Amino acid sequence: MDPMPGAKLVEKGMHRIILKPTGVEVSAPSGSPLRDPLFEQGVEFPCGGQGRCRGCRIQVLEGQVQVNAAQRGQLSPDELAHGWRLACQCSVEGDLVIELRQWDAAILADETPFDFEPRPGLGVAVDVGTTTIVAQLLDLQTGSVLAVRTALNSQGRHGADVMSRIEYALSPGGLDELQHLIRRQVGALVRQLLLAARTPGQAVRNVVLVGNTVMHHLFSGIDVEPLSHFPFVPNRAGLEVFNAGELEWDLPSGVPVRFLPCLGGFVGSDILAGLLATRMGESEDLIALIDLGTNGEIVLGNRERILCASTAAGPAFEGARVSMGMRASAGAISQVELEDGRVKCHVLGNIEAKGLCGSGLVDAVAAGLDLGIILPSGRFADARSEWTLAPAVALTQSDVRELQLAKAAIASGLQLLREQWGGADPVRLYLAGAFGNYVNRSRARRIGLINYPPDQIQPAGNTALLGAKLALFGSDGVDGPGKEVGSYHALRRRVEHVSLSADPHFQDVFVQELGFSESAHNYQEEVAL
Amino acid sequence: MSTLEELKEAIIDGKAPAAKQLTERGLAEGIRAAEFFPGAIIPAMDEVGRRMRECEFFIPEVLIAARAARGATDILRPLLAGDPSVRPMGTVVCGTIKGDLHDIGKNIVAMMLESAGFRIVDLGVDVSPERLVDAVRREQADFVALSALLTTTMVNMKSAIEALASAGLREKVRVLVGGAPVTQAWAQSIGADGYGKDAVAAVELARQLVAPA
Repeated sequence: MDPMPGAKLVEKGMHRIILKPTGVEVSAPSGSPLRDPLFEQGVEFPCGGQGRCRGCRIQVLEGQVQVNAAQRGQLSPDELAHGWRLACQCSVEGDLVIELRQWDAAILADETPFDFEPRPGLGVAVDVGTTTIVAQLLDLQTGSVLAVRTALNSQGRHGADVMSRIEYALSPGGLDELQHLIRRQVGALVRQLLLAARTPGQAVRNVVLVGNTVMHHLFSGIDVEPLSHFPFVPNRAGLEVFNAGELEWDLPSGVPVRFLPCLGGFVGSDILAGLLATRMGESEDLIALIDLGTNGEIVLGNRERILCASTAAGPAFEGARVSMGMRASAGAISQVELEDGRVKCHVLGNIEAKGLCGSGLVDAVAAGLDLGIILPSGRFADARSEWTLAPAVALTQSDVRELQLAKAAIASGLQLLREQWGGADPVRLYLAGAFGNYVNRSRARRIGLINYPPDQIQPAGNTALLGAKLALFGSDGVDGPGKEVGSYHALRRRVEHVSLSADPHFQDVFVQELGFSESAHNYQEEVAL
Repeated sequence: MSTLEELKEAIIDGKAPAAKQLTERGLAEGIRAAEFFPGAIIPAMDEVGRRMRECEFFIPEVLIAARAARGATDILRPLLAGDPSVRPMGTVVCGTIKGDLHDIGKNIVAMMLESAGFRIVDLGVDVSPERLVDAVRREQADFVALSALLTTTMVNMKSAIEALASAGLREKVRVLVGGAPVTQAWAQSIGADGYGKDAVAAVELARQLVAPA
């Protein structure tokens, strides 16, 4: 894939804003509300931007932001002196570096440049995730992103993971309700995109949605019963085409809305889109694409052959089922480093540590292994029951066990796909999704999550969204010669789905991957990566 | 340390070749086959269970300990058949329920029950009510142990129990259920005889149910 874009030119009259801790850079016109660019990055304004709560607090690290009466009402003089502000009450008067108190920007959009054939009009690409939804409005002539909207999937109230959504969908009226929720929500996001870009819907030519098999079914209203039990083979997993009129969206009624086809089992069009984004189907080298979620998806292949599989990693990477686990938001330990044999934690939002997010959990266990506090078996060395990382945060024995289960699911999945492919090792491994973007590659190797040197591992960001954008430029779902970019039909036919749990070696490989390696590889040398 | 004590340690440490050797040595020393169970194998697996509960042992340690225990029981089982003083604990037909492929938890329960002296007939995964009924009848089972790891498949435990009832076998067997989404209340609601929250609980439960009233 192409490298990340370099520093962007800042237009005259625009200011540059760097958001910590992710380092995401946005720009905004002089005098405009700070709220606009932050909202686009997934920051929420609990009181609706009225200055009546402290939810959107930021700390200004560099630059100047004025204080008004509303901010004096919510923040102490001490806080104001330390640069704390309410983002909803600020306007952009110069370049800024800020850190968010409520940092929930783990929702990843995508700004990777890509090749395309210009065509008239606008297009909308949507990544329908189980947890989060990201939608982008594109100018199909220039390929530029005109607006971004993110949201938590409104089906979340009926279960956090795909199995609980399936269970709800199987209850009376459940499927209809989940379908209604997601269709209405994506329609609202499309409306917000048009509003943000100050453009009418008439110019929109095309909408492409991607998501896992369960999201595909729930959006399309397909019975999920076959996904509730072995062999987990969907009845209908192909391309689903709607028009904006039947979905009751604020677009001309004839605009086609396509939910791209699934690859098999639980592996959906988000991964198909990831294959478009990483160009696996054209690659000479053997490469891997790994999406580290509750359901881990793994694809291994090149231009000759592509194998995919899903593996139940459980929710440890998202901080769930971990005693002090939490999402990657303010107060989460996101990194653990060793300095002269002492533990140093980095906490999101620069406040007192409240818990541990997925990347922090991986780091903590890697540090524990290097210090000899955690044995290769995963057991605490001195029979202690927990290891204190920060005054209010400790890692327990069962937390280490949860991580062992999660990392073994991914590592054994990749191992089995490798065996089926013929034993060759991938030259590059792309990590998709938010956790894959933030996890430290050396520590991921130290704990045996990804058993490859960090320089072979590339965080690939939101490849589902990038692939959905590429599909907007495909030839409207019809493959033709020379239409390789964005052409998902031919690619999909080449992908073979492998059922890991049906593999007789699965248990042996899984159990073997549960432990940690004794040595730290060249961990010390690689730590800088 | 006596041979039985050494055998117990070898099983806990998961040393399969040593466990076999020590079993042979014990037999050569004149220890009766039946004495190995209360003297070494059962206390070893009880200790493994205790360590598993306290998070000291994890899946790999439990599996290699169980494999070592199996090395010993494979040698001893043919010798027990001719011993009139041995009261068999009973036959357990076990499996993961229809629609579900999760294997490891069920295997651990099966191996722990085997080490505790039960005869195990493992039907594997995705076990249909028909296969279960056939096996219970064929093996003259005393227990049925069923596992489910998905909320969407545990409902099939109910169908399995109903199938046993319509085959006229429900009164002949005790049905034990377990697995991550399964609870005591749910086990009662489907008419199971017992619920084990982990492998240790499953073994305790089976022992209680086999004990003379």
